[in-house]
Amino acid sequence: MSTRAIPSPSRELRPPKRSPRFDSFPFILLLPSALLITLINIYPFATGFYYSLQDGTLLQSGAFVGLANFVQLFSMPDFLHALWFSMLFAVFSVFGSWVLGLLLALLLNQEIPARGFFRVALLLPWIIPSIVSIVSWRWMISDQSGLVNVMLQAFGLKPIYFLSTGRWATFSVIVVKIWRSFPFMLLSLLAALQTINRESYEAAGIDGSGSWQAFRYITLPHLLPISFVLWILMTIWSVNDFETPWLLTQGGPSNATENLSVLAYRYTFLLNNVGIGAAISFFTMLLLMVFAIVLLRRQRETT
Amino acid sequence: MSTQDGKIDGETLQPERKVSRRKFLRVTGGAAGAALLVACGAAPTTSSGATGGQATTSAAGASGGATAAAAGAAAGGSSGDVQFWDMVWGPNAYIDTAKKVVDQFNQANPKIKASYQSNPWSSWPQVFTTAVGSGTAPDVSTGGGYQAIQFYPQGAILEIDDVVATFKPDDFLPGQVEAMKFNGHYVALPWGIDIRIPFYRKDMFDKAGVKPPTTWDELRPALKKLTSGNQYGIAFPGNDNAAWQGMWGFVINNGGGLFSKEGKLDVMNDRTVEALTFISNLVKDGVVHPGSAGFSGDDMMKAFSSATTAMVMFVPGTEERVTPETKQNVQLLAPMTGPHGDKGTLLFANNLMLYKQTKNPDATKAFLKWWSANSLPIWTEGKAGNLPARTSIAKDPYFQNNVYLKRILDEWVPIGKLTGANASGTFPVLADIDMGGAMKTMASDILQGQDVKAALQKLEAAIKGYKTFKG
Repeated sequence: MSTRAIPSPSRELRPPKRSPRFDSFPFILLLPSALLITLINIYPFATGFYYSLQDGTLLQSGAFVGLANFVQLFSMPDFLHALWFSMLFAVFSVFGSWVLGLLLALLLNQEIPARGFFRVALLLPWIIPSIVSIVSWRWMISDQSGLVNVMLQAFGLKPIYFLSTGRWATFSVIVVKIWRSFPFMLLSLLAALQTINRESYEAAGIDGSGSWQAFRYITLPHLLPISFVLWILMTIWSVNDFETPWLLTQGGPSNATENLSVLAYRYTFLLNNVGIGAAISFFTMLLLMVFAIVLLRRQRETT
Repeated sequence: MSTQDGKIDGETLQPERKVSRRKFLRVTGGAAGAALLVACGAAPTTSSGATGGQATTSAAGASGGATAAAAGAAAGGSSGDVQFWDMVWGPNAYIDTAKKVVDQFNQANPKIKASYQSNPWSSWPQVFTTAVGSGTAPDVSTGGGYQAIQFYPQGAILEIDDVVATFKPDDFLPGQVEAMKFNGHYVALPWGIDIRIPFYRKDMFDKAGVKPPTTWDELRPALKKLTSGNQYGIAFPGNDNAAWQGMWGFVINNGGGLFSKEGKLDVMNDRTVEALTFISNLVKDGVVHPGSAGFSGDDMMKAFSSATTAMVMFVPGTEERVTPETKQNVQLLAPMTGPHGDKGTLLFANNLMLYKQTKNPDATKAFLKWWSANSLPIWTEGKAGNLPARTSIAKDPYFQNNVYLKRILDEWVPIGKLTGANASGTFPVLADIDMGGAMKTMASDILQGQDVKAALQKLEAAIKGYKTFKG
């Protein structure tokens, strides 16, 4: 009897086992993008966070203070005010620009004379460089010889110093922001309006619905998905907005219009307190990340 | 450490860990410079900005300069490249004139090659901080009243005790050189004087039957008489540092100040409260232009030019900021006597400072001395808005024959005091007080009718919160 083991037939029939081969090619293709993202996003992000944990200036790193700068923020009246103003500024800017954009989009979606001209003309506030538009606004509202006050006085009213009291300055900064932002809303909503099937309106008309009901039950539901994206984007852009309050009021009077971006600039460059400046910026980023995450989830769901 | 005592820790002067941030700024600056080069598609010149071009120039200056400096030293003279950054101190003609003066220096000092770069005021904190941090600072620059003391504690400024020792003390307006002293060292040279002074419209005063006030007691009723309808007695630019600076002129006029003579923070002292209460009362009287809290300097001058404001507390050269017709009516008020018999106003000594990064300190010091003594054309031709700190320049007919400038030099400069009043010298927290925004907020608060003591308490809390405030 042979001691030699007889190989099992089934084993011989099985294809030879091959170790999985690592394919590096996709990773090489990804490398430039990964490096770019690291350089543009991750490095400044990590550096900013590192600075926010230190008690330094732009020229000296300073001591490591852990989260003390973040804790200190919540005992700083100027930070709490800037946080409050940023929220107020964002809420009213988003709401105002959306309503204005929607009204104009509805109007421009109709067959009106010179519709093409208006579609282009209404984009101008968005196209004009911010320094030009905001300084022009300042000229129009800052004193009694500005255009707005000349008109008010022509109607026998007293001049209003729009940038000289906290409330008026807050109102003015929001109005200018709405003016600068509504074209983006208009453009996006108009595009969405044009995707609505006309037959839906015709069917609703046959069923006896009026224009309000058509708007309420057909137009608005169609616009809600894009509106949700617009609200979030505009909130992020409003909280991040530096040029509108800075060029119009420099955050004044008495810090009334100082938002988180202006405050971070003041601490970093004017007070050379990079720790607090970076902590404000990082806090702002975390706040905005919440909105960004909601937006990304929403987009994923839609997809 | 106590800035008020004029002392500072050695650790603060010698930064322990500055490598990482400087490296970061250097890399960022280099990358930005490279990007600019690519974007512009042209080789940078000396005036092409604060990045690549200057880094190259500095490097060239460093290598070439080291050899040349050795040769220069052997020859008993200075040599090498000197990069001079100048702020915009006047109208467009100023920059061209300053360049011309630099050319004159180069002709007079053939072994030294000085280059000129003009910097706008709008972005100076970022420009200088980034330049110092990235190792691309100039060799020498002009700057505001507290720029040297802002950078000195961070090890960026070169002391110039040896340069100051070569000057005749009486060739500077009294007290100006000593105002540059910190911790026993001169951190800058004063080259220009900026001061806050009251200008008024003679036509409006005459129409209202008001004589120029000589005391505060006369000022209040005068401003009331000048106010009617849309016309107001006085205006401040609340959206500009000139608002608090104008108000602080009144504070110093009353013997008040931010600090005691011993250098302790003393915001709530009686004289300061009294002076600001006087201004607050003017606001309550309705004689302060109601747009003041939101005015920029230009807005205020527009109100002054258009005869809606009879008086402003502003800078030398205010009469040049109105139309030629209006200029005839713009007059300078004589120093007023405060309620306790004091006279005074706020004054700034503009800095001329050297940076430690200089590769050619001897050549740079030679430039500093030359510029300080020979910069007359920047006023006579460049129409710089400030006044010279050197008496030899101030004696020039250009100043002596100008009725406004002569009066400012004779009547106002001698009674001017710095922001640190009533303390002497300079100290780091003054830079934050000057730039940090708390003084502007205080002025805005008062212009909006808020309680003076509450505004000052807020100011005091802000100053105590500054990193540079010690003790």
